[in-house]
Amino acid sequence: MVPRSLFGNARKKIGSASRLRNVAMGVAGLIALCIAGQAQAAAPAGCAALQTKYPAWKGKTLVNAINPHTPGYEAIDPKDPDKYVGFDIDLGEAIGECLGFKVTYKAVTFAALLTTLSSGQADIVISDIYATKERAKAADFITYSKVFDGVLVAKGNPKKITGINTSLCGAAAAENTGYVEVPLIQDLMPKCKEEGKAEPTIQLYDNNANCIQAILAGRADTYINDVNTVDQAVKANPDKLEKAIAVTIPYSVGIGVPKNKPEFRDAVLAALIEVQKAGIHMDLLKKWNLDVNNFKEPDILSVD
Amino acid sequence: MSLFLHYLSLPYLISGVWFTLAVTALGLVGGLLLGLVLAAMQLSRFWMLAAFARGYTIIFRGTPLILQMVFAYDALPQIGLKLSAIGAAGLALAANEAPFIAEMLRAGVLGIDRGQVLAGQALGMTPSLLMRRIIAPQAIRMMIPAFGNETVSALKNSSLASVISVQELTLRSTQLASSTFDFFSIFFASGLIYLVLTTGVSVIQLFVERALDLDRPATENRFARWLPWYRAPLALQPAAGEPVARDNELAPSPAAPQDVKASRADRTRRSATLAHNEVVVDVSGLYKAYSSQPVLAGVDLTIRLGEVVALLGPSGSGKSTLLRCINHLEGWDAGTVKVGGRRMGFREDGKALSPRALAEERASVGVGMVFQQFNLFGHLTALENVAGPLRWVHGLSRADADARARELLERVGLGQRANALPRHLSGGQQQRVAIARAIAPNPAVLLLDEPTSALDPELVNEVLEVIRRLAVEDGLTMIISTHQLRFADEVADRVVFLSGGSILEEGPAHEVLTRPRHPVTARFLNVMEADKPSVAPA
Repeated sequence: MVPRSLFGNARKKIGSASRLRNVAMGVAGLIALCIAGQAQAAAPAGCAALQTKYPAWKGKTLVNAINPHTPGYEAIDPKDPDKYVGFDIDLGEAIGECLGFKVTYKAVTFAALLTTLSSGQADIVISDIYATKERAKAADFITYSKVFDGVLVAKGNPKKITGINTSLCGAAAAENTGYVEVPLIQDLMPKCKEEGKAEPTIQLYDNNANCIQAILAGRADTYINDVNTVDQAVKANPDKLEKAIAVTIPYSVGIGVPKNKPEFRDAVLAALIEVQKAGIHMDLLKKWNLDVNNFKEPDILSVD
Repeated sequence: MSLFLHYLSLPYLISGVWFTLAVTALGLVGGLLLGLVLAAMQLSRFWMLAAFARGYTIIFRGTPLILQMVFAYDALPQIGLKLSAIGAAGLALAANEAPFIAEMLRAGVLGIDRGQVLAGQALGMTPSLLMRRIIAPQAIRMMIPAFGNETVSALKNSSLASVISVQELTLRSTQLASSTFDFFSIFFASGLIYLVLTTGVSVIQLFVERALDLDRPATENRFARWLPWYRAPLALQPAAGEPVARDNELAPSPAAPQDVKASRADRTRRSATLAHNEVVVDVSGLYKAYSSQPVLAGVDLTIRLGEVVALLGPSGSGKSTLLRCINHLEGWDAGTVKVGGRRMGFREDGKALSPRALAEERASVGVGMVFQQFNLFGHLTALENVAGPLRWVHGLSRADADARARELLERVGLGQRANALPRHLSGGQQQRVAIARAIAPNPAVLLLDEPTSALDPELVNEVLEVIRRLAVEDGLTMIISTHQLRFADEVADRVVFLSGGSILEEGPAHEVLTRPRHPVTARFLNVMEADKPSVAPA
């Protein structure tokens, strides 16, 4: 259990999840006892109770804002481009199924994900977005995945880049506007200066494809992003690209929800717990060939 | 190559075209409506409206479209206006296009020859009638290339809607590229689709330009008949294929010289009769200055029914200004002008009339005007130049107006050229059409502002002949500013000599022209020696 004092602190609510999880489990157990044998085939057993507890979203269609340029997580289906597919898509739909809502998608640039959410043009953001304190000023997050980044470089790693460290000094990094890697690379600038080396430069693009093209075109030396995205890029261009290394970075991936809807946040959290408990989360990681080490029990990140 | 063809025919990309077209259409239609309002505000005589439109133009022309898109999509919901993605993109594009379209419209309107506007005003056309019948039809023709440009640019700009989740071609291309990594095949394919769309716009533009081309024979003008100002030609028109080049058409048959060169005795008798006629035009104490430089320095002038008055004087002496003041095409600083007993341009209580009321007054009082530069309506045939204002201003039926126009064109010797456009007529022919147009509504007085000064010498006589006949046969009251001294001597009852904005001398035409009393008049007449009438009695 988490100390009570943490709940009094409105600034940060990491930890509240575990209590909710216990409550949810209790409720689920109770319902399971009452209506044993009646559980739906698709949705986990506890979901029926959640739909009773959080009826506001049942039967609704919610808008999920995504930046569909990350194959494996969210991208259009090359075989049927009218559909979005990926781990995040499946996870979002599993949560929707649990709470009884359907999901439609709104494709925006990465930097516009949270703006779209806070302007009310979308209800939820499940788009491989890292939950940082900065971003938590614009939205509440329910974290669900650890972050492993891959360092994408040209075949042979000509600049001998070994991670987000001073090996990047003097190199050109392609990044997406708004990605968390941008400040991490910026933080290297003074260090490079201290060592008397040139600072790294950052080229900002607005989707993965452009970042990868920047390396293929010789404009950039590296693109550091989610390891799975990097693996996909290497798979598509095996004779031109390679992954130099995988690194952990101190963030979690989160589901963004509006700050002014705490009930919705709690409902999504409870549903995610059910989805994980039913083993769906793990199944999806395997289905999309993602590292099962990504799995993370959910927390809430919320700042005022 | 096969990948390229695969993406080129991919329904996912092709259906993105509809979103592209929808945003473009919303942007253009909205931009056109908003642009019309903006242009009207900028051309308005109320400065507040003009200033507001200026401000709008500065803001929306001066900020990037991509910001406007994001604003319409993400900021407007904060004030409760949550548009769909296409709606927001259309709104932003319309708001962005509007100032450009407004400038196009304004340039088109201002590009119309000022003389045609003056001529329309002189015919008693209200501002809205002028806009609808004269300015808009010509301005639209001129604006089509610019509008084609604007359409192509809006089509390309619609790709910026990809940032606010409109599923248009560019967004679909980038998403597809992200999931398949076939970067170049996809962008070549979508580039080609854009090219097809913009080429389509160019083809439509060329088609519209051709359809609106006035020089094409009417039978081929299929598109034009759908336009609001199109009027079906009447059955009784001469066969097509009229000569287009300047013809050597005969001037109207000269009136018998005996009639014109009336004897001294006739003239005395005539002026005695005229002296008892009622006053048609009464100008008193007319004063007008441009930045303290007087153009009219207190002019008093009375014209009686049937009188023909020649205004003489060097250039800049105020002749044209005086004529324009008489039908209130120009304002003045002091003095009064009365036509047919009415104070032109003012209400009973002395307040200035609105442009619309002034136009109606011009039409009802009846002051016709013929200009130095003819000022025919360039998009209308000779017949329509005469018949159009009769229908629009005076409410004649089409049949009556056409009959009257044909009769008048016949009289000025242009019955055969009724369906010719002004640009296919010689200067002399154009001026004769202009005279027919000015006298068509039976004006109380006809003002002629140097009607032959812009003509080649060999064309002067055909026009003078027409004016001579109006004076002699119709007894029309006329004020004519001219440098044709012999003509003034033959036709005018009275000569008024203006210099520096004042009347230096006036009197019976032959007397002033042959025995000027004022030295300035004498000097002027000497300079014009070549054309000076002989002192010998007729």
